[in-house]
Amino acid sequence: MAGRPTTEGARDIADHTRHADRGPDPGGPPGSEPDYRFTLANERTFLAWIRTALALIAGAVAVLHLVPLDWHTGAKLAVGFSLTGLAVVITVYAPLRWIRVQKAMRRDQPLPMSALPVITAVGVALVCAVVLFGNYWS
Amino acid sequence: MSHPGPRDSGLQPERTLLAWQRTVIVFVAVALLYLRDPFEDPAVGGGVDPLYRLAAVLAVVAAVGVLIAHLRRRWRATAHGLHDDATGNPPAPVARPWALVLLSAATAALALVVAAGALLG
Repeated sequence: MAGRPTTEGARDIADHTRHADRGPDPGGPPGSEPDYRFTLANERTFLAWIRTALALIAGAVAVLHLVPLDWHTGAKLAVGFSLTGLAVVITVYAPLRWIRVQKAMRRDQPLPMSALPVITAVGVALVCAVVLFGNYWS
Repeated sequence: MSHPGPRDSGLQPERTLLAWQRTVIVFVAVALLYLRDPFEDPAVGGGVDPLYRLAAVLAVVAAVGVLIAHLRRRWRATAHGLHDDATGNPPAPVARPWALVLLSAATAALALVVAAGALLG
């Protein structure tokens, strides 16, 4: 991890001119290309969020379609739609956050805070509450 | 080592590719889960016609097929994460920005299909 090429600065500049054909460059021209390791880490974080959304969808599939639950229809739909709604929020937010982080890194600014972890945590807690509720309301 | 050029000591490009693969596998698994018939009669499970479900799932999975092709192409072009096509440096992201947006859109579409299936069924 420690060893970075000494010609980094020169390479950054060269990268900048030669990567002009890369298509839409997230973050735009101002600033310089961040260390590729941070770019890749940002991408992995995005992918982890997408996997979180997929896990929520899997839960929704189980509740809505697969598991023969003995629940009131209202409780069932509430849980299923909360899970899918949460997943949609994450899938909308994740690429936006990825671009914002990329921009901040290019401009050497502090990383933006994100409401996404709080939204996910509160949402999952609420779903858990409704699941408890659903078990007793049949 | 058969490839010239500096190797990333943290194997970051490789880890990113693995993260992509994990995501794609989870995606396909969830799609298959949705495709599976309900355990009991359709009235309980919210059963839309299986053909509609198959069509929806195929449409969503097609997007992931495009992503897989893109990832493979790019991984090869960077000599398995060793150097970038043009510069010879280690590569920037394994995928391009449109791939991230496509993955997000496909996931959102899958979520909506699941929700709509429960409403219509």
